[in-house]
Amino acid sequence: MPLNGLTKMTKIEVVVPGEYAAAVRDQFSGAGTTGFTSVSGVSGLGHGGYHQGRLLFNQQAALEMLITVVPEAKAEALVAGLRRLLDDSPGVMFVTDTYVSRPEYFS
Amino acid sequence: MTPQTLAAADPGRTATLRAELRSEVTVAARVIPTHYPLETFIAVNPLAGLESMPFEQAIRRAGDLYGIAGALGEDTYRDLHRRGRITDADIESALRLRYPALLDGPAVRLGDRVLTPFQLLRADMLTGSPAPDAQRRSVTRAEQQAPQIAEQVDAQSAKWCAAYFGAPAAHWPMPGHRDGFYPAWRALAPGDHTLSRAVRRDLRALPARADDAALAALDRLRVDEDERTAYLQAHLTRLPGWAAHVRWSANHATGVTVLDYLAMRLTYESILLAHSDGRGRPGRAPEPRPQPEVPSARERSTALAGAWGLTALTEGDVAAAARVLSALPVASRHMVWQQAYEAHYRDGLLRCLAGGAPARTADRPQAQLVCCIDTRSEGLRRHLEALDGYETLGFAGFFAVAIRFSSTLGGAPNDLCPVLIRPEHDVRESPAPDAHRAARRLWLGSAIMAGAEEAFQSAKESLIAPFTLAEAAGWVAAPWAAAKTLTPSTSGRLRRSLRDRLAPPAATVLSINDTVPLSHRALYAQVALTTMGLTGGFARLVVLCGHGSTTENNPYQAALDCGACGGQAGGPNARTAAAILNDTEVRAELRGRGIAIGEDTWFLPAQHDTATDQVTMLDTHLVPATHRPDVLRLAGDLAVAGAGLAVERCASLPGGPAHPTPARAARHVAARSVDWAQVFPEWGLAGNAAFVVAPRDTTRGLDLQRRAFLHSYDAAVDPDGSALETILTAPMVVAQWINCQYYFSAVAPETFGAGTKTIHNVVGGVGVLAGHGGDLQLGLPRQSIAAGPSLAHEPIRLMTVVQAPLERIDTVIERNPVLQQLFGNDWVALAAREGSGHPWRRWTRNGWRPWEAGTPDAETDADTDAGTDTDTRGDTIQEVLPCH
Repeated sequence: MPLNGLTKMTKIEVVVPGEYAAAVRDQFSGAGTTGFTSVSGVSGLGHGGYHQGRLLFNQQAALEMLITVVPEAKAEALVAGLRRLLDDSPGVMFVTDTYVSRPEYFS
Repeated sequence: MTPQTLAAADPGRTATLRAELRSEVTVAARVIPTHYPLETFIAVNPLAGLESMPFEQAIRRAGDLYGIAGALGEDTYRDLHRRGRITDADIESALRLRYPALLDGPAVRLGDRVLTPFQLLRADMLTGSPAPDAQRRSVTRAEQQAPQIAEQVDAQSAKWCAAYFGAPAAHWPMPGHRDGFYPAWRALAPGDHTLSRAVRRDLRALPARADDAALAALDRLRVDEDERTAYLQAHLTRLPGWAAHVRWSANHATGVTVLDYLAMRLTYESILLAHSDGRGRPGRAPEPRPQPEVPSARERSTALAGAWGLTALTEGDVAAAARVLSALPVASRHMVWQQAYEAHYRDGLLRCLAGGAPARTADRPQAQLVCCIDTRSEGLRRHLEALDGYETLGFAGFFAVAIRFSSTLGGAPNDLCPVLIRPEHDVRESPAPDAHRAARRLWLGSAIMAGAEEAFQSAKESLIAPFTLAEAAGWVAAPWAAAKTLTPSTSGRLRRSLRDRLAPPAATVLSINDTVPLSHRALYAQVALTTMGLTGGFARLVVLCGHGSTTENNPYQAALDCGACGGQAGGPNARTAAAILNDTEVRAELRGRGIAIGEDTWFLPAQHDTATDQVTMLDTHLVPATHRPDVLRLAGDLAVAGAGLAVERCASLPGGPAHPTPARAARHVAARSVDWAQVFPEWGLAGNAAFVVAPRDTTRGLDLQRRAFLHSYDAAVDPDGSALETILTAPMVVAQWINCQYYFSAVAPETFGAGTKTIHNVVGGVGVLAGHGGDLQLGLPRQSIAAGPSLAHEPIRLMTVVQAPLERIDTVIERNPVLQQLFGNDWVALAAREGSGHPWRRWTRNGWRPWEAGTPDAETDADTDAGTDTDTRGDTIQEVLPCH
């Protein structure tokens, strides 16, 4: 059901060490996403303890967060691919419903 | 159902299958290394993808994947024991580390002998039947059913990879290269008349997408979904060199991905098996492979009794001895040997470092030399410090400035920073204000020389021109080649003189202070100085000394340059950092941050040529008149230090003079560097074994034999541990890559070494082949790690030695999984002490433990030498000591 005329889509957020970020971006482009946002050097506390954010001279070990929004029709394949990736890689994925005002940007 | 019909019938399902395959390929490819092109050859750990496993488990896994042992052979270790390089004390120390309770257990009776657990285990290590060779267990269907087809798939893969990657440099490039690897191969492969008509017909029907081709092939080969990642790994590890280069290429917009490469291999395999006249069928059940026989603990116990000549054995005796031996499986013995081998060096080094350096005078040094942490810098620093008035420091050779550098001579810009980071700023070199004319002459002269070289090479490689070229230039080319071979130093001097005449050097400046905001520059300066612990007491002259290596006819030139500068010479980084640190605005900012650099301090860039041990001062036209006498004096002393270092190096260079004078040694290493027939221009980082993070006081006065990376660090100026964190997560990580590259090139040369240089053929700047075809060679050539049958590099894992509060080290490790992995999984050992005079401690996952070293001079246990001898021959090698 549209929310104030907004269009429902799927938001996928993935947090992985920098060295695996390229594989996530590869999945995004393989699924036909039209763009993504990435935030490098994120820090946080998880099941493995505290994880340092920005490292001065090592971008591969620092965590990176990648966010994309896709129409629901593309979400299933993308989530399946990312799940397979995260089965064997450190990282987490969050999938949520989201609403956008300009659906043509994401289709 | 073919992928095309499936895609039409159920596009959602097809998209899911493709996405899953993409991830499986990504995961599978992690077991192979990344192979950089020759121009930026970077040291990598070939087993980096297995670092999440403990080292011992990782090399076992590598054995399954590649069929390599991952350590030296037991015969080699036994030989090292005979020669005294591994002592009984080292073996005991290694055993005690692995089985702390076992060695203190009760003695057992075997016939009329009473033996301690150590005596039994030691005897088994020295005389037990060697462990069977590692076997590749992760295999393809073709390997199992029709090995000749597996060979054919490899040959086809190597052929198409060489055609594709060699295309940019080839005169007849691969048709369709611009469309990318898979489309080009798909278009050309059906025209390969070495294949049968039926195979070519199937190749003509391939789908347009590589993922669809791979999915179809996997389906034909009946590879289950659960088995897919392992199966892809079996293919990738058949030709790890090409696969590793494809992996690098996939991130550099070269039109090829690992998926494309696998699609080609899987397609060949499935089609060739299908048309193999019954020799193999794609879906046939795999045939079991014979397993090598390993003696049981009981058999080992009986064998020992036999070796000692014991006869009156009871069942109980044999069983009791077997219980002890069963703690150390045959397959694990080589790791105990390896630990003993490492313990000998590590214990010795820590004993040396415990002593501390002679007190330094409080006088202001006349100059401070900041060198790269590279092990080769240790020699230069030591020799310079032997002359009075100098202080030296170690820091990563990119001097904290990650730059993309454009030379005034043009050409593609170079990324000069560790591959762990991306360059942050473009730095352009341009003529100095009063040197435009000289720069123009330099540019024109360089262009003439490059043009002549290119014309000669083009004529040499085209179809008809070589005949004319031989007539026109043969009269000069042949004597010139003879001169280069017979008198390399004279021809080198001639070339230098010609170059200087045609393109004399011109003064240039860098753009860094004009293009980068002050706050950023001040931050770089602060980080560099704080991280190396140089925040006060500046000398009049502080030299930032990068390094590079001058060699001839050497595809592995980049392996000898600076790893912290992306496998290139570090001069531009030194110049950039010096320009920042000499800037008055930056210094004013630094004063506000508590770092006061006196007005009489000048930062001077320089570059150490590690092949000749000559240090070239850079940007001398910028040196103020007040400092020119200082620079002159330093240049003289660096020449003395370099010659002293050349004397030291000559003794270990094959064919080098044993006891030369400094002048002769300097001439000798200079001649080697320009000798196009020289396969041993220098030893590079051979011997690397330790990474020391401490003030120079800890190591000054010791000869560490160019085996240690030395990073200056002063815990007192780093209360929050951020500098230590930077050192451990970046320079130490790069040092570990270098260490692992040397290690695996030495212990698994067939897979992770590049073989002998004498048969290398360069493929379009991508890498080298051994001979005319086959796999791209990974790792280092034999001449980088061995001279004749003897290893010049001791393959031992890196030990990091830190002088800092232990709690601070713990904090840094706790918040960085990369360090937990390296230290916790035994890829790197960590020893530390709170400060000078404190005892060394060993980091373990369960906390700090005392560093318990073996007794250095323990006697061989003659009573229990079951058929072994200590070598008493005259040619016993001198024990390699970690320091003098």
